[in-house]
Order: sequence, then structure tokens, then C-alpha cells
Amino acid sequence: MKILKTLFVLLLIASVVPASAQTADEIISNYLENTGGAEAWNNIEGIKYAGTANAQGMTIPIEYYQTKDGKQLLKINLQGQEMTQFSFDGDKMWTTNFMTMLPEEADAEATHNMKNQAMDFPDPFVNYKEKGYTVELIGDETMEGTETFKIKLTRKPMLVDGVEEPNVTFYYFEKENFVPIATEAEVKQGPMKGQMLKDTLSDYQEVEGLYFPFAITMGGGQPVTMTEIVINPEIDEAMFAMPEVEETEDKK
Amino acid sequence: MKKLIILFLAGILFPIELPAQEISLKGKELFGDMRARHIGPALMSGRINDMEMHPTNTRILYAGTAGGGVWKSSDGGATFVPIFDDYVQSIGVVKLDPKDPDQTIWVGTGETWTRNSVSVGDGLYKSTDGGSNWNEIPGFENSERIASIAINPNNTDEVYVGVLGALWSDSEARGVFKTTDGGKTWEKILYVNPSTGAADVIMDPKNPNVLYASMWQFRRTAWGFNSGGADSALYKTVDGGKNWNKIHNGFPPGDLGRIAVQLAPSDSSIVYAVLETEDRTKNGLWKSTDAGQSWEHLNADFGLTVRPFYFSRITVDPKNPDVVVKGGLNGSISRDGGKTFKNLGNMHSDIHDITFHIEDSDIMYSGTDGGVYRSWNGGTTFEIVENLPLSQFYHISVDDAEPYNVYGGLQDNGSWYGPSSSPGGVNARDWNSVGYGDGFRVLKHPTKNIIYSEMQGAENVWRYDADRNRTKTIQPLPGKGDPELRFNWNAPMAVSNHAPDRFYMGSQFVHRSDNMGDSWTIISPDLTTNDPAKQDQSKSGGLSVDNSGAENHTTIFTIAESPLDENIIWVGTDDGNVQVTTDGGKSWNNVTANLTGIPENTWVYHIEASVHGKGTAYAVFDGHTHGDMKPYGLKTTDYGKTWTNIISDDIQENAFVRNIQEDYENENLLFLGTEFGLYVTIDGGKNWSHFTNNMPPVAVHFIDLQKKTNDIVMGTHGRGVIIIDDISPLRELNQSVLAKDVHFFKTKPFTMVEDSGFSGNFGAETQFVGGNKSTAARIVYYLKKRHTFGKMTMEVQDMQGNKVLTLSPGKSKGINVVNWNYNTYAPEMAQAKTLSFGGFTPPRVPAGQYKIVLKKGKNTYEHLIDLKYDEKSLTTLAERKEQEKFTRTLFDMVEDLAYTVYELNGIQNKAQEVMDKNPKGKKQAGKVYDALEALKKDLVITTGDNYVASAEPELREKMGDLYANVASSYDRISGAQKQNFELISEEWSDAKGRYQAIMDKEGKKFMSFLEKNDIAAPKLKSKEEFLKKD
Repeated sequence: MKILKTLFVLLLIASVVPASAQTADEIISNYLENTGGAEAWNNIEGIKYAGTANAQGMTIPIEYYQTKDGKQLLKINLQGQEMTQFSFDGDKMWTTNFMTMLPEEADAEATHNMKNQAMDFPDPFVNYKEKGYTVELIGDETMEGTETFKIKLTRKPMLVDGVEEPNVTFYYFEKENFVPIATEAEVKQGPMKGQMLKDTLSDYQEVEGLYFPFAITMGGGQPVTMTEIVINPEIDEAMFAMPEVEETEDKK
Repeated sequence: MKKLIILFLAGILFPIELPAQEISLKGKELFGDMRARHIGPALMSGRINDMEMHPTNTRILYAGTAGGGVWKSSDGGATFVPIFDDYVQSIGVVKLDPKDPDQTIWVGTGETWTRNSVSVGDGLYKSTDGGSNWNEIPGFENSERIASIAINPNNTDEVYVGVLGALWSDSEARGVFKTTDGGKTWEKILYVNPSTGAADVIMDPKNPNVLYASMWQFRRTAWGFNSGGADSALYKTVDGGKNWNKIHNGFPPGDLGRIAVQLAPSDSSIVYAVLETEDRTKNGLWKSTDAGQSWEHLNADFGLTVRPFYFSRITVDPKNPDVVVKGGLNGSISRDGGKTFKNLGNMHSDIHDITFHIEDSDIMYSGTDGGVYRSWNGGTTFEIVENLPLSQFYHISVDDAEPYNVYGGLQDNGSWYGPSSSPGGVNARDWNSVGYGDGFRVLKHPTKNIIYSEMQGAENVWRYDADRNRTKTIQPLPGKGDPELRFNWNAPMAVSNHAPDRFYMGSQFVHRSDNMGDSWTIISPDLTTNDPAKQDQSKSGGLSVDNSGAENHTTIFTIAESPLDENIIWVGTDDGNVQVTTDGGKSWNNVTANLTGIPENTWVYHIEASVHGKGTAYAVFDGHTHGDMKPYGLKTTDYGKTWTNIISDDIQENAFVRNIQEDYENENLLFLGTEFGLYVTIDGGKNWSHFTNNMPPVAVHFIDLQKKTNDIVMGTHGRGVIIIDDISPLRELNQSVLAKDVHFFKTKPFTMVEDSGFSGNFGAETQFVGGNKSTAARIVYYLKKRHTFGKMTMEVQDMQGNKVLTLSPGKSKGINVVNWNYNTYAPEMAQAKTLSFGGFTPPRVPAGQYKIVLKKGKNTYEHLIDLKYDEKSLTTLAERKEQEKFTRTLFDMVEDLAYTVYELNGIQNKAQEVMDKNPKGKKQAGKVYDALEALKKDLVITTGDNYVASAEPELREKMGDLYANVASSYDRISGAQKQNFELISEEWSDAKGRYQAIMDKEGKKFMSFLEKNDIAAPKLKSKEEFLKKD
């Protein structure tokens, strides 16, 4: 019965676009259509992702904000303390130093790359051409044990140690439903530089007519589970501003 | 989206059953999440075939390796990463497109320094995206070895490829090929005959129509090598390959061997060649200053003439035509245009390629038999690249230690053993040397801490007493009346399963020792074909004699004593004989004639005597030294009287086989080591699946199955030791399992390992570190379908159904593996200005049974697992129980404090609100605020940071530290901890008293103020709600 259901779904999807001779554009347009439609994606002004990162025994609440005008912010909560892991107001990026718990401005290269990354909103494949991204269908591949289309997404080049490098991510779209179930990208910095890291995406669920993956495993190990995704959330613009550091300790 | 919902609904509304159909027992999905892990080692690395520099970016260089794929460095050679792991791992040449060097990379496969143990390639590959994806270029499938690629810098669609070709047989897939359309179509523009290939093809970058090509007549057999002949020659074209002319003006007459050729990049009229000729005095370096029109002999030193088939690379400093480097045993460098040479500085011997930094000729990179080396001072001192795990094992074995050790011998890199897991990962320093020279088989004595190892041709066989650090050589030696003993280069040895001190070795005879090699008895006649035509190695080599022992033939190669009966011994020889005795060697039965489908004299590479029946054995055969690359494997159940084929079409047609390992429980589960990686069958050989999860198609020379852990351990010839942890789920796979939506595999009770050592690693930043086997509980399950839509969760529950921890389940189709570290949730910590270590310490669960609950959509699946304490624990069970109870007491205390601080903060916030907004209540609010603040400063840290500006620890920190120390300890509770607990309990009890007093006085007044003024009381979560975990 399960097999039939699968076949049936495949059959109907196949009738939308012929399964043979898929192009990258067709796959992407199927993806956007199946997850809410390009128009609905285009209408989003901002997204709040609330979830938890699980490290054996510790459940770390996280909140991630993204807006159409390029703002981004990631907050985590450790032992009741809220910390902004990074914030980007479209222009300036800052992070929190975990030793001093004080804000510090991110290096110029990270800020530059973040500015480009902000263009992803709300999804890299929405209006990818206008963003200056290119896509290429590499071919079929078995990923997560299942049949997928492998699509290469090239964003604007990123700066790595003072040099521009291509910014490439491979997306694996499950053939059965045209949603990405895994991505792979090369690590550009740090001791893992040069290695490919794989993220997996699953537990797609509907939020106001759009489908989002609610379970993400980063780099093959770190799982993040969404508890809530809010479309066009109320956003306190003040949180993006880099706080002033008080000169002396608060002796309240 | 809407469509999708409708589709899913439609599926549910039409529940039509399909007839059951056979589910394929093969393919990538079979293995799901089961991933290989690599433990190296990288400290001796492995053979490099070719180095390639980026033409403009000084950070980037590549290494093409003999058996471990292509590696790229983006940091000037400090570290490398592999970029060719989905393809054949034996590399001849790596070339970057001169116009598009960041994106377009060409790789010619098949190593070109043609020693006896070389792997094979399978064609030409091109990437146009910097190595992320590769396309095989049609037309080179049978090329076996590609030595050169030359690209026209002005028109990079014009490419020349020099194919050295087949080593072990005639082949027409050789010579120089040219494309003018970037690789779509090819023309063979220089071809001599089926035994002569292109050794070097170079282009004059200033005039791309000028090319030089050296053609080499060569052939290797299992018992000899021949370099040279009338057809070896050096050619030049000036019209892009339309016409080729021999350029031998000045060369001595007679046959030539391998010729190296290189021109000076800074002056194209200067061309260097290294010749192998009939006249020893004319061997070595030749130079032309007129672009090959005439030649002058300059140098015949050892360094220039040694082993031409192995060392034939000339490199000229890009800035100075007089600085010439030649690969060799040590490598040689000239600074006077080739007249005189000195050795390069110390590094691993056998230098195959050297490159210069593009801007600073003081910086050199050298590719050796032991990895890549860097020099910063023009070649005087060299240092090794430490993260290239390219070790080339001939053989491995394992012991039964915990964690078990892996033993093995390597091409030109001795013999070693190291742990399969180690604190912080398997590091270079974890490996121990147990033999010199080329290493082959290394075996641990079954009961004593004694290790047997050997070097090439059993020249030395060592018995090493690891406890006392004593070595004795114990190889069998001929006695009076014995013929000369013929040992293979890779001589077989075996320890007995039945008598621990018994040790076997094979020459043409089987030698048995019952006293660990002190004395030997020959227990067989000559078991080989004893064909004298294959026994004269003194002339091997061709123009340059090369009698290293590597070609010794008509020898025994594998010895297998039955694990069920010490009198049953199987023997396989390199010249095709399978022999068996059932009476401990009194009589031998040659069963070679009974083999089916195996060409005569095909090398019997391995015999596996089965645990599933005394008469049962597997034999695999390797014909590649006759040019026959087909995979061969047979099984017998009647002592070799009849054999059945166990190879299917699933195995790549040229993936010749070197090893087979049976499972000890499921007779149908077999592991096959081939030239192109590992294959697995779960149905006795009817279907095979290529294992590719983090497993490159590297040559697998030997496989062992560790009995306690069920780990498959592979000795690869190019990527070191690769392990697949716990293959026991594969035993359970069958049609009925595959038909289920979800199936949990049985697991043995898990031991909660209590190891807690140190792993400091300064100085090892650029070293390779091998992955460890997880000591966590492995929850293994099969999913029929990849889970993509809707929720899927997993949690651990105790047997009463209380949640212990949430886990993140894998969602792949096929086998999924989820690890659980035996932890439950970490305690909620009191909020403060800094972080407390205690909050990062989850308590461990007690031993016992636990439920794994997987929820997928509406369905729930449950599975039970058992945990047990470490038998090597320092504590008694009673002490462990006391520690667990004490941990829980401290855990609760930490959380009590957390809730108290939460309440306190809530009241303070309210008080602050009143102070800010309600002048009437300012005084009362202020009082309660201040009283609570004074208390809080004793409970938690309110100033400072997490590093050196940290404040003095308060109650939370003291309590948290004690909790963390007790919870993470594997030992009994110490007296100090108990005393400290008394102190902290008292402080906590005092603090609670103070809190109550404040709440009874200032608090009460404040609350009644709120009530009177209709201000809402602080809104606080209940304690239960506050402490709820995820």
C-alpha cells in the first residue's frame, strides 16, 4: 500500500512536469510550487525560526531572524542568559565574545560575506537569477539512501583570507517530491578547510501555506529542531544594533 | 504545496494493496548510515606519483598519489584534503588548465612508476568546478596508466595526453593522444607498438606546436621485469604532432630504456634527458642546448641512473635553467646546468617528483614513497606533510585488546601497530614501529604480548617481545640437504588457532614451528609448480638489472589453518595451486584441477578457511599480473573437490580480487577486497554491493573481522586502515526485514565505558587524526523510505515510560545509526552573569533496560536496549549506586537553587517595575529589591566574565562544581566531596532561611502592597514547569 501511495504521488507530480528531461529550472520551480508557490515565498518580509540545538544532554534554545532587507540575527540561550551569537543589520555585523560576554565587531571579511548571504532570503532559490546566482543540474545521485537530483548553486564569490573564492553549494532534491533533503558545501576556513560538509533537511511542515524543514542536521552531526517558524514576525529593530559597552562594571 | 497535501490525502484515500515483490538486496541504500572511518596512519604516509603547482596562486598545489587519490592543498602545502574519493585512487598525473586553473583540472589515472605492487587506473577525468564533480573522458577506459598531460596555454581546448598503458600485457591503448575540442574527440598521434608506451610528453610553453615525447618499451610479469628495447625512443614534433622525428643525435647506439625529458621553462632551447642505455657509462643525464638537435652526456652518477623505471622525473627551476633536480633514491640537485649533482636533504627515500614554488625557488615540494615533503631552503632540509594518510598496507591483522590494535606492514614503510581508538582520536604518536624495510604480514601471538613481523622475501622475520622490548630474527633457514628456499616478496605467515606457540611460514614449502619460530619443520613437499622458467630473477630489469627480490615467484602466498581443526591446512601459491592437507601436513591434496573458471597459473591471493564447516573454504584469485583484471572467487564445502563461483556481475569487470572475509555468524555475509574497494554480499555471493560510505574505491589488500566488536578492518594500499564499525546489522537483513517500514536491529548490551584519560595535542595541529569508534549506545534501524515530510522523533525512556532524553533520529532510507552517550538532561542552572560548568554536565543513567521510542507520523515504534556497567570499573556496585544517588541529590539541589533564583529575579523585576512606575510603592519595592539583591550576590555571580575577569565563586558555582565532579566521576565518592557537600548544604540551608525571612518580612509587605493597589503579582512558572526538559 505504501508503495502504491508513493507511485501514485509520483504519478501526479509527474503529470505536472514530465519526469524525463528535467532541467534545473524545472526542478526548482517544482520545489517552489510544492512548498507554497513562488508568489507566496516572494511575499515574505521576515522569518523567525525558533528551535533547539541538541548537544547530548543539553537543549540550547535558539532564535534566528531573517528579514527581506537583509538583517539577520542568531540568539542562543545558555543557563538562562540570552546571547546574540551574531547580528547583522544589513551593514554591520557583530558577535558576542564568550569569555567577556561583550559584543565585538565581526571582521571585515565575515561582514562582507554575510552581506552577500543575506540575499538568500527567504530561500536561495527564490528569484535566484535576479540575485545573480546560477544553477546547474549535475545529475542524479543517491543521497540519504534515496534518489535525488543534484543541483549546483553558485552564489556571489566569498572572501577567504583576502581572496575571492567561488561560493558553491550542492543541493540534493528528493525526486519524489522535489524538496531538498541535503546540501553539501566546502568549508572555507578553519582546520576543516577544504572538506565538504553535509547538512540534511527533513520533517518538512506547513507554516501559513509554506513548507519548511523543521529538522536540520548541520555538518553531519549537530541537530537543530524547529519548534516554531513565524512568517512576518514582529521584530524589535533595536536588537540588531551593537550594544554600547559600559565603561565600568555595573555595581548595582 | 496545496497539491502536495492533496496528493498525500489521495494516497491515504486509495489504500490498494500491491502484491508483494522482491526487494533488491543490493545498492547504496543497503548501507544507509553505516560509514567507514579512517584511522591512517599518516606518520609515514605513502607513495606520491605526481605533484602539480597552481600557475598563479601560491597557496594551491596538488598531489597525485600512487594509491590514495588526488589531494589538494590551499595553504601552501601545510595541509591537504582529498578531492577524488569517488574514483579510482591510483593516479598518474594531475594537470591544471593554464587559463582556468581554479576550475579546470585534468587527472590521468594509473600510477606510472611501475614497481611490482602498483595499482591500476581506469582512464582520464576532468573537473570544471575545481574538483567538486568529475567527468570521465571517453576513450581512455583501457589506458591503465596515464603519464602526461600537456595543455596549449593559448588554446586550452588543445590537449595532449601521454598514455604509458598496460604494464602486464600488450595493449594498443598507448601512445600520444590529442584533442582540439577540450576532450570530446581524440586522435592517436604517436603510436609505436602494443608494448611501447608514452613515458613523458612535454610541451614548449612558448611554442605550443613543439612537443617532446619519450616512448618506452617495457613489460612486467609476476616473475620479472623488462625495461628497454629497440622501440624506446625520444621524439619531437614542431607541428603539433602531425610529424614526429627521433632526436637521438649524440645518443649511444643500441636499445634504450625509460627516458625522462624536460625543458627549462626559462629557456626552451635547453632540454635535459635522462637515458637508460646498453652502455652503463652513457646512462644518466644528457643535455641539449639547441632544442634537441644535438645531445651531450653530462653525468652518470648513481643518483641519476638508479632504477629508471622507478625514478624518471627531471624538474628544472622555473627561474634558472642551470638548477636541475632529478628524482631518485635520495633525489639529486645540480646548480651548474647538470654537470655535477649532490643529494637532496634527508627525507623519505624514493623521490618520484619535485616541484618548485612559482615565485620562490627556495621552496620545493617533493613526492616520495613516504608522502609529500616541503623544503624552505632550496632542498637542504625537508619536513613531511603530516596529514596525508596514504599508507599502503599489504596486510593487516587485529588482536583482542580493548580497544583492539591493528597490525600491518607497508610498502617501503616497515611494520607497525596502533590502536583502533585512542583518547582524542588515533594520532601519529599512537603508532609503534615493529619492523624495517618493506613490511608485510604482522601477527600478534594469540596469548602472549609477542608480535611477529617480516621484511621483503622473509629476509628477516622478527619475533618482538613488546613487554621486554627484545627482538629475535626467526626466519626459516635451509638446513643440510634442503634446496634453496623461495620466499615471496610478501611471504605468508600464520599463527595457529589451536596451539598458541605454533607459527607457520611458507616458502615453496610449508614450515611449521611449535616454539614461536625458534625451530622449524618442513611439513610439505614443494607445493608450487616449481617452474624453472619463472625462477631466474638475476636478469630481471632489462637494460638495468633490478633484482630486489620483488619478482620471486613460484612461492606459497597464503596459508590458512582451519579454525575448526588444526590438521586442516589450506595453501595457495602465486603460480595458481590450491593445496590442502587434512592430516597436519602428512599428505597434501592438490585440488587445482577442480577449480572452475580460473585460468591456469592465476595467483591464489587468499584462502579463507571457514568457521561454518571443516571442508568449507573460500579462495580468491588475482590474474592482473597476466593482464587479466577479472574478479575471481570460489567457495568449496567439500575440501576442494568441487567449487562454486561466488562472483556476480555487480562487481566492476576489472576489479581484481585480493581478499575475502567471511562473517562468523551468517554464512551468507561476505566481504570482498578488490582493486576498486570493498564489496559486500548478504546472500552468499548472488548479489554484491559496493560499499562507498566514506570509503573510496581504493585497493583493499586485506580484511579482518574483529570478533568482539564485529568491526570490519581493512588494510588498504593507499588510504591506510579503514574500519566499518559493527557490521552485525547486515546479518539480520533479509526480505522480511526489508519489507518492513521500520525495523530495529538487535544489539548486544552496551558497556558504558569508563575511560577518562587525557589527550593533550599541542604540536599536532596539522596532523591527521583518525576517527574513534564511538563508545555510545548504537541504536540501529532500517527505514524502508526516506523520511522527508512530517514529524519524526526519537526519545529514550526508562521502563516506566519517563523521558530520559530526546535523540535526533537519522531519516535515510536504509540503515540508520543513532548514538546515545548514556546521558540524561543536564540540570537547569541558576541564572547569573557568567556560565557555570555544572550546567554542561548531564548525569549518566544507571545500567539497565531502556526503551527507544521512535514516532513517525502517527506510528510509534519501540525497541529495548540494555546498558551495563564497565567491568573494569574502579567501584563496587554499591558504591556506584551511592554515587548515582548522591549525583541525583546534588542535581536536585542545583535545580532548587535555579528555581529560587528564578523566583527571586521575578520578584525583583516586579519590584523594579513598581519603583519605575509607582512612586507610592517605591520604598517597599526598594526594600524587597535590596534585600533580595544582597542575598543574590551570595547565591550567584553578578559581576565579571567567563575568563580572567571572573568574580569569586558563589554558592551556585561551588554547588555546580561539586555536582559536576561527582556526576562525571567514575570512582566512588571521595571523603573530600562528602565534607564539601556538608559545607554547601549548610550554606544552602542558610540561604534558604534568609530567603524565607526576606519573603516573610519585606516580601510579604510588598505582596500586600501589590494586592492593595491592584497590581498583578509576579507571574512565575511553577517549579515543575520551570524545570521541565525540552
